[in-house]
Amino acid sequence: MNELLQRKPGLRAWLLLAPSFLWLLIFFIIPLGIIVVYSFLERDLYGGVVWKWTLENYRRVFDPLYFKTFLYSLWIAFLTAFFSLLFGYPLAYYIATRPEKTRNALVLALMIPFWTNFLVRTYAWLTLLRTNTGLINVWLQEWGIIDHPLPLFGNTFAITLGLVYGWMPDMILPIYAALEQLDRSLLEAAEDLYASGWQVFRRVIWPLSLPGVIAGTMLVFIPSLGAFVTPAILGGGKRLMIGNVITNQFLGAHDWPFGSALSVLMMAVMLLATLIYFRTGGEEARRGGLG
Amino acid sequence: MSATPTTSTPSAGQHRLRHVLGQWLFHLYGFAGYAFFYLPILILVIFSFNDSRSVSKWAGFTLRWYEAMLQDRQIMLALWNSVFVAVVSTAIATVLGTLAAMALERYRRFPGRLIADITLYLPIIIPDIAMAIMLLAFFNLSGIGLHIWKVRFFGVRLAVPISVIIGHVAFNISFVAVVVQARLAQMDRTLEEAAQDLYASPWRTFWRVTLPLMMPGVLGGALLAFTLSLDDFVITFFTSGAGFNTLPVRVFGMIRKGVTPKINAVSSLMLGFSLLLVTLALLAARGREERKVGFF
Amino acid sequence: MPDASSAAVELRDVVKRFGDVVAVDHVSLRIAPGEFFALLGPSGSGKTTTLRMIGGFELPTEGEVLIEGEPQGYKPPYQRPVNTVFQNYALFPHMTVAQNIAFGLEMRGVPKEEIRRRVSEMLDLVRLSGYERRRPHQLSGGEQQRVALARALINRPKVLLLDEPLGALDLKLRKAMQLELKAIQEQVGITFIYVTHDQEEAITMANRIAVMNKGKVLQVGTPQEVYEQPQTFFVADFIGDTNFLPVQVMQVTAPVEVMTESGTRLTASWAEPTLRTGVKAVMAVRPERMHLYRPGSGPEGPEWNRIEGIIRQVIYKGLDIRYEVFVAGECSLHVRMPVGRSEGTFQRGEHVIVAWPRAAARVFRSES
Repeated sequence: MNELLQRKPGLRAWLLLAPSFLWLLIFFIIPLGIIVVYSFLERDLYGGVVWKWTLENYRRVFDPLYFKTFLYSLWIAFLTAFFSLLFGYPLAYYIATRPEKTRNALVLALMIPFWTNFLVRTYAWLTLLRTNTGLINVWLQEWGIIDHPLPLFGNTFAITLGLVYGWMPDMILPIYAALEQLDRSLLEAAEDLYASGWQVFRRVIWPLSLPGVIAGTMLVFIPSLGAFVTPAILGGGKRLMIGNVITNQFLGAHDWPFGSALSVLMMAVMLLATLIYFRTGGEEARRGGLG
Repeated sequence: MSATPTTSTPSAGQHRLRHVLGQWLFHLYGFAGYAFFYLPILILVIFSFNDSRSVSKWAGFTLRWYEAMLQDRQIMLALWNSVFVAVVSTAIATVLGTLAAMALERYRRFPGRLIADITLYLPIIIPDIAMAIMLLAFFNLSGIGLHIWKVRFFGVRLAVPISVIIGHVAFNISFVAVVVQARLAQMDRTLEEAAQDLYASPWRTFWRVTLPLMMPGVLGGALLAFTLSLDDFVITFFTSGAGFNTLPVRVFGMIRKGVTPKINAVSSLMLGFSLLLVTLALLAARGREERKVGFF
Repeated sequence: MPDASSAAVELRDVVKRFGDVVAVDHVSLRIAPGEFFALLGPSGSGKTTTLRMIGGFELPTEGEVLIEGEPQGYKPPYQRPVNTVFQNYALFPHMTVAQNIAFGLEMRGVPKEEIRRRVSEMLDLVRLSGYERRRPHQLSGGEQQRVALARALINRPKVLLLDEPLGALDLKLRKAMQLELKAIQEQVGITFIYVTHDQEEAITMANRIAVMNKGKVLQVGTPQEVYEQPQTFFVADFIGDTNFLPVQVMQVTAPVEVMTESGTRLTASWAEPTLRTGVKAVMAVRPERMHLYRPGSGPEGPEWNRIEGIIRQVIYKGLDIRYEVFVAGECSLHVRMPVGRSEGTFQRGEHVIVAWPRAAARVFRSES
């Protein structure tokens, strides 16, 4: 036995891998397979499935009623990624250009929200944004800045804000990591040459930080597309995302096959995005290496 | 103002002004960014002490919402459930994830490596909602169901939500593996060879050299798993049967019914818990640095 | 007594492949008990892989490793009677100096009292008494090196393997440690197998040297043998300084005769056996075996080679003077002459005769 293990390192590797691999095989890969199979089955009236193959579920996904929700989710995910990048990039740049001690403290300060509960963070915005009793509207009205409450809640704005708040650290950290590796003298030179600062940014800093930008965009886009908590709380029951529809199919409407089809489609979009990411990411890395 | 040969030309002066102004605006932006992250949480905590049912109009300081929280048996039970699930699933996931990380870091190339990689990293990419329905369908189809096992453990009656724990372990294994693998990658492998050279069997090499040196990574991974488990709402929501709540599930239910300072109090408690964990992680890291265990 | 048992370590036709790369190519070696044996070669020559196969960290693809006549087969490192001093020392950072040194004995279940006694003996040997409770990161490079040595030697191995143990030290400390290591080896009488890429280090310390290149052992011999009688161009080039003159082979049987490109006939003591009459080759001569004379003087006769040249550069080095001599139509020769010879020093631009005895010249196939 010992000799066999000594001769076959692959066997030793699999011996160590076996417990976690089996766990994930049974409780992750097989469940994934079940969902895929379910998406081709018919529902029965009591919330179960009938073992009859059909493509009906995928046809229904493209029913305008549901497909609109799907496109809306893509739109929200895009907005979230866009605004996270727009506001996150300068912040990442700000952190990267601080002295080392400040820098480490700032990164840590960014991690702390990440370690706190997502639900709690979403709830915090609920108390701020609610139309009549939300802090922002109450204060603005008290100070006489506005007469009528602003529509801050139960709409695209609220959902996007909640998601940007929740996922922006995931955008900032990879960009910061890319910027931090930049030659410090390069940044100082760029600061020094502010007359052509924009050119330096566009020609030097932006291309070199692109791998971080792409990674960050993926890390924000994917969870935003699958969001459930944020639209459930900040959407006020009016605006639904695909995650809410899936939830309804599994916990409310009891149409598991259709819910499975929606999930499979959602995962397919994410897989596609990941593949694009790896392709462009690889290309950027090559170009960066040569340049 | 007359220009002397040493002072800058007007245009250089303008540039300097713009530079200073730019720096100042930049600082302001950085400050605003962090305010964005911290203000909502701060306001949330402040209003947990509000002597009114409102969470937007200040009416004086009180601790009555914390009292109400402590007297709420449901919340206290949910808190216990959260900690119990987190402890058990972290323990299992840490052991399994650490072993997997050792395999992946130690044996660079072996048959089936790609399959192992995909299986291990996919749970990180897949959004929690997808993982939640997958597990729900699996428990339903397999007949495992969403039961609570009643277990006697040294005379203590425990309610073990087996489906929730299975789900938490499934998403935590991958995170532990990633963290431990990062630590192992920094470790000097000749240390293990040195131990084997000094007559330590692989088993003793592991206990005497490998484990102590990768301990920071294992602790880091366990801490991450613990936090993720405590924070998880979606997967628990789908995989817990009727009548079983963790704290996030309970809070979600409360939010559905309306906003009250009691929720702020519970949220503050959860925030405090997270901060405590971060502090622990930092202290552990600093302690290591001072004792200079590890190679750096 | 059977032949195998008289060797501390024997490698029989050992091959190691990593995928398509042949790291060690049919190496056979016999290392006698008590010997200080050096494996010398540039990086990538296979010397470290060879050492790791003796230690059990790699298994040979083909061939056999024997320690004291016993085939090692698939034995893992912890079952082999050898110990290693690693290149980066590999001291356990989470243990004290004493715990590091005691590790091997502890693993073998030696009683605590004996461990304590032997650890303090070892610390004496490497002059580190009083350092027991320190941690590796609190030690200097040289001190870490000595702890690594003590940690290996305390186990009284049959063979000690050392993988460039002085590579990380600065020059002065390295010189001091070379002598110290040699002294310790003589004191404990254990077989040392020492991997290095530093030819000077190998010559200073070893009883015998195996010169390796591209996975092959090119020559095994005493330091004097590999220095004075290199068997291949690579060995002549890698060890010490050598002048190489491009020549054509005229006669391969002794006395070997060659002709330079400008037509001067030279003789040599030895030619590589694969050489044939008429082929191009190189003559190798050490700079210190060449002498300079003013035109018309100097030794003559069949035992001597003479060639004319012009001094191009003179470098005073204290112990000797180094001349670079341009030989018309040929190349530059480096000549090393002790200070204070009767001829006095030569000036730049001076016409000279370069002369060397036949015994100092060897002819090799030229490698590119």
